[in-house]
Amino acid sequence: MRILIVEDDLEAAEAMDRGLSEAGNACTRAADGEEGLAAARDGEFDVMIVDRMMPKMDGVTLIETIRREGDQTPVLFLSALGEVGDRVAGLQAGGDDYLVKPYAFAELIARVEALARRRETGSVQTLLRVGELEMDLIGRTVHRQGKEIDLQPREFQLLEFMMRHAGQSVTRTMLLEKVWEYHFDPQTNVIDVHISRLRSKIDKGFDRAMLQTVRGAGYRLDA
Amino acid sequence: MRLPRIFRTTPFRLTLLFLALFASAASAFLAYIYVATAGEATRRTDQEITREMQSLVAAYDRAGIDAVNQSLIERAASERPFLYLLMSSEHKRISGSIEESPVEKFTGPPTWTTFSVTDVDTQGRTVKHPARGLQEKLAGGEILFVGADVGEDEAYVDKIIHALQGAGALVVVLGLAGGVLMSRNVSRSMAGVTEVLDAVRNGDLAARAHVRGTSDEFDELALGLNEMLDRLERSMAGHKHAGDAIAHDLRSPLTRLRARLETASMDVDAGKGDPTKALAQALEDTDGVLKTFGAVLSIARLQAAGAAPDPQLFDPSELAADISELYEPLCEDKGIDFAAEFAKDLQVRGNREFLAQALANILDNAVKYTPEGGAIMLRVRRRSSGEVEFSVTDTGPGVPDDDRERVVQRFVRLENSRNQPGAGLGLSLVAAVAEAHGGRLELDEGPGKVGEMGPGLRVALILPRAA
Repeated sequence: MRILIVEDDLEAAEAMDRGLSEAGNACTRAADGEEGLAAARDGEFDVMIVDRMMPKMDGVTLIETIRREGDQTPVLFLSALGEVGDRVAGLQAGGDDYLVKPYAFAELIARVEALARRRETGSVQTLLRVGELEMDLIGRTVHRQGKEIDLQPREFQLLEFMMRHAGQSVTRTMLLEKVWEYHFDPQTNVIDVHISRLRSKIDKGFDRAMLQTVRGAGYRLDA
Repeated sequence: MRLPRIFRTTPFRLTLLFLALFASAASAFLAYIYVATAGEATRRTDQEITREMQSLVAAYDRAGIDAVNQSLIERAASERPFLYLLMSSEHKRISGSIEESPVEKFTGPPTWTTFSVTDVDTQGRTVKHPARGLQEKLAGGEILFVGADVGEDEAYVDKIIHALQGAGALVVVLGLAGGVLMSRNVSRSMAGVTEVLDAVRNGDLAARAHVRGTSDEFDELALGLNEMLDRLERSMAGHKHAGDAIAHDLRSPLTRLRARLETASMDVDAGKGDPTKALAQALEDTDGVLKTFGAVLSIARLQAAGAAPDPQLFDPSELAADISELYEPLCEDKGIDFAAEFAKDLQVRGNREFLAQALANILDNAVKYTPEGGAIMLRVRRRSSGEVEFSVTDTGPGVPDDDRERVVQRFVRLENSRNQPGAGLGLSLVAAVAEAHGGRLELDEGPGKVGEMGPGLRVALILPRAA
């Protein structure tokens, strides 16, 4: 993936660059909003990571500008401002996801991958397929090896999200945000319990576990 | 130019406004009196003149000019207050009590006129009296004039006008005096409040306004001001306490973190093995610090804002059902019986996200402290007061009576819970959320002791009735 990192904190940018490059991505760095705008206009990127508060031009202005110019590249905002209002402002400006600083690196990678993936699947799907697992989005049914799996509505949503991001790590925070739409960190392992329930439904009785735990990151659904 | 203070006070301006209104009402009233008295006098005189004229014209029609002449002579001798003049068709005076007609035109319709007559008063001085009269042309071309001395009427009208002027002046003077007194009184009542404001401006937060106990608006103002200052003082103290608490709660994990990294670094220098474990621990410590920091920030923002951001009207039972759906599997996993009871058709106004987080925090606590085989109950109901109550009851160890107030305060964790994870900010955040919604947090004993368990804890988040 080609990733544009627009971040004025050079050390943080360096760390992001290193981590993302190690994960097999090509990163371009810009140290302020104006530089970021020039880089965004110049190159083709799969994802942009943009800090909200920067010298010369802030992240929101930058994204508003490129969106006006028709650039639809997925954008992940990074910000020290984590209130609901800040998040909404970032998303309204044209951001696709919002990550509050400080973050775990696994969280950043998971979100960047999720954003890039979303771009690939542009058309509206009615059927999701990951290996043996099939989800009918209209009939609201799930089959594995042709056997129907009975899911609660929330379990269905959870699995749908995992299937749409199959092969990628998704974090607990992402799940809480995207499936439950809450933006806080629970002190207990609520998400783990939901995952283990889902796992017992889709993996139990089959020869191979599809829903994997990724240490230090979260979960991954493998084909 | 600055007006003296008294003229700039609101009560004085109000007084002026009232005075203006009062003066217009009084003018209308006085004008009515004028028309009803002075106007009436003039009308009555005119009627009398007209009647006299009619009776003389009737005599003329009946018996001719001589009869009129005769009447005038007779009447001149009597004490009638009328003035007469009878003239021939050649405008020569025939008889009457005045020498010449005040009306110069002798043709045309009957004409009213105002003129003056000369008289001699009791002291022998010549005085002029105002008079009024009617002149008519008789059928034979003779001219008849009937008038009346209206000096007395005019004097009467003058008296009325004088009285009215006096009354008007009285209205203005009394109104102004009342205004000055009233604004003085109000200013005096406000003085205490102004003094307190000055003191606070100069940094004395302990200043309080004197409440006189009269239960009027000024007392209400003073009470309101004092209450506001109380809140402000508490909040400032809270911020100071928060600063101390942050220093305390962040310093110890940061110290631990630093020590761990230092040891690991020394171990690596000494070629003693693998720092991986120490690094993993350090990461975990950092996450702990960040969590505490996040919670402190949320609490501080809520308290600074003083109100919940982006409030919406929503069904609290729906929110609770959503959250219990999130927590129920967790309880089941821990072998805790989870029950929920939600009242229908309730509404609250608030920030859904914050309230969800508050409920999650309460449930987190309940799950953390309730042993296997215990029970947790989540309820949403309307109190008889109309308030909406979210309550979570558990069968954990509970919180001793004396400690309940303390648990809600920031960072406080009871001694026997030190071994549990968590930054000890859970209930403080709940309390901050409750306060930001104009509600409160209540802690009670749970269902009591059952075997090894109990007495349990009941945490209630109470929100005011949605307006």
